[in-house]
Amino acid sequence: MTLFRDIPIKTKLMRIILLISVIMLLVTCSSFFAYEFYTFRQTSIQKLSTLGEIISTNSTAALAFQDPESAQEILTALKAEPHIVAACLYDKDGQLFSYYPSNLDTKKLQTNAKMGGYHFDDSYLQGFQPVIQGSKQLGTLYLRSDLGAMYERFKLYSIITALVIATSLLLSYFLSQILQKSITRPILALAETAKAISTHGDYSVRAIKLGKDELGSLTDAFNQMILQIHNQNQTLSEFNQTLEQKVKDRTLELETVNKELDSFSYSVSHDLRAPIRSINNYINILLEDYAGQLDDEAKRLIQIVIHNSQKMGMLIDDLLAFSKLGRKDLTKVSLPMKNLVEDIWNDAFQLEQNRDIEFILNPLPDCYAEKATIQQVWVNLISNALKYTRKKEKTVIEIAWEEKEKEIVYIIKDNGIGFDMNYYDKLFGVFQRLHSPQEFEGTGVGLAIVQRIIEKHGGKIWATSQPNAGTTFYFSLPKKKV
Amino acid sequence: MRLYLKISLLIFGVLLLTAQTPGTREYQLKAVFIFNFTQFVEWPSSSFSNPQSPLVIGILGKDPFGNYLEDALSNEKVNGHPLVAHRYNSIEEIEKDCNLLYINLTESAKTEKVISSLKGVSVLTVSDDPNFLKQGGMIRFYTKENKIQLQINPEAAKSANLSISSKLLRLAEIVTPKTKSK
Repeated sequence: MTLFRDIPIKTKLMRIILLISVIMLLVTCSSFFAYEFYTFRQTSIQKLSTLGEIISTNSTAALAFQDPESAQEILTALKAEPHIVAACLYDKDGQLFSYYPSNLDTKKLQTNAKMGGYHFDDSYLQGFQPVIQGSKQLGTLYLRSDLGAMYERFKLYSIITALVIATSLLLSYFLSQILQKSITRPILALAETAKAISTHGDYSVRAIKLGKDELGSLTDAFNQMILQIHNQNQTLSEFNQTLEQKVKDRTLELETVNKELDSFSYSVSHDLRAPIRSINNYINILLEDYAGQLDDEAKRLIQIVIHNSQKMGMLIDDLLAFSKLGRKDLTKVSLPMKNLVEDIWNDAFQLEQNRDIEFILNPLPDCYAEKATIQQVWVNLISNALKYTRKKEKTVIEIAWEEKEKEIVYIIKDNGIGFDMNYYDKLFGVFQRLHSPQEFEGTGVGLAIVQRIIEKHGGKIWATSQPNAGTTFYFSLPKKKV
Repeated sequence: MRLYLKISLLIFGVLLLTAQTPGTREYQLKAVFIFNFTQFVEWPSSSFSNPQSPLVIGILGKDPFGNYLEDALSNEKVNGHPLVAHRYNSIEEIEKDCNLLYINLTESAKTEKVISSLKGVSVLTVSDDPNFLKQGGMIRFYTKENKIQLQINPEAAKSANLSISSKLLRLAEIVTPKTKSK
């Protein structure tokens, strides 16, 4: 059946029908042929023996009264049967009495007149039969018929068979052309619909049902399926839309809350600055103008107040800086990163001149960013590095970079006290500190500011660390789009 | 020598025997023909007293057949009737149940008398007489091209209630004498 597998269903059906028709016709025709062959032989024998009967009955008198001319005359009547090629009469002594046709080569004839009945020999049907009058055998008749009649008949049959087969094939071809449509049309229509749906994605299309047979129920099932897909698609897209709307709403809400929070923290820090400044001022005035009137204990307490108010002022400043970041847009320029870092380092190093510090500054590529905020990043990271290496005998700080596909990663590595990576989550949180303020001063806002700046630039910041071995900070900035 | 003598004697005896019978080769054939007539002619059943009664072939006048007729008829039957040959010297001797009569009379007048006496009786009459059919006879032998031929008067046979097979008629020359037709 692989012969049929890849051809269209229309052709397949047609071929099957035609093949079956041909086989049936061949079987039928050959059975008829065989039957006809057998019957025709039988009929031929019967016909010849009837003919022989007539001839022998007619020739009894001729034999009895020894009139060969009359016998000849009787035999000549066989002219009417063109397939009789020879006829002979023998008298009762077996002597040739008369023969037909007149030009028959009598020497070649077998004169064994004893054989009874007729039979097929090579290409002849021949035989002997007694000539009897009353109960007396007067002689023997020999008849020979060629098989031309049989061949002619079979030729005719072959022609008829060929015609019948040709006509039937033609008829079954046209009939199957028409009738196969009842099967193929629904299938093809279904295939067409399925194709239309899959190419255009239009699930509103429906296959047309053409009957109530299996193909009809297939069409129904197909339509049902398409309907389900269509409904599911609709539900899905509706669901999607509501989801999108929800996300939008939530984002909007969050943005509003964030903005409120930002403005809240900004106004709080802004409003807190004025009172703390006046506290500071008045404390300083107190210390300068009334120093003489205060005893040492009072001075010490005032110093604590000054220290704490200063600390609070720093905190408020940092908080203000942090909240400011959320409020303004960036104005990016091309920054010569190495010079920037050099200047910052020189400023920072002024405060730590008594320490043994090795500073390794590798050449850095320029970046495209806002100068003030990136400056802030480097200030925070460098001061962090200096801060947490303070307890080392020799401090090593290295600044390097790496190039990625779409961004540049700047690296600052120190050999400070490091931190436990288990607390990494708290590293960039506002007011989150991994060390106590007694050990290392700071507000816990620095890294949060750094992270906010980098993220605002579309970059990322991360770190790796080992306690007492050092920390490495990495921050990436996107390359300028060309 | 004795064997030679014996053979010579035997041949002589045969020759003597042949000489004694007046029949010739011609009459041998005619005897067979007479037998064959019984095959191709149908007699009415009233001609026979019973199905086993013989079919009598009579010879009136000089007998030219000798033993040939007996030879031709021996052990033969027609429709169950054995064939028997009777010889008659006069018309009066002809039995009632004679079925076929071969007439070999020298005088035509006598022949005519015989035929008229057989009127109404189913007797097939056969003769060599050239005027036989004119006188109301049924079958006549004649010789043509050295062959024995037949002349038949079917009218006469019909009036005697005899039916001659068309197969036999085919072979014969049909003669219907006007003078005697009634």
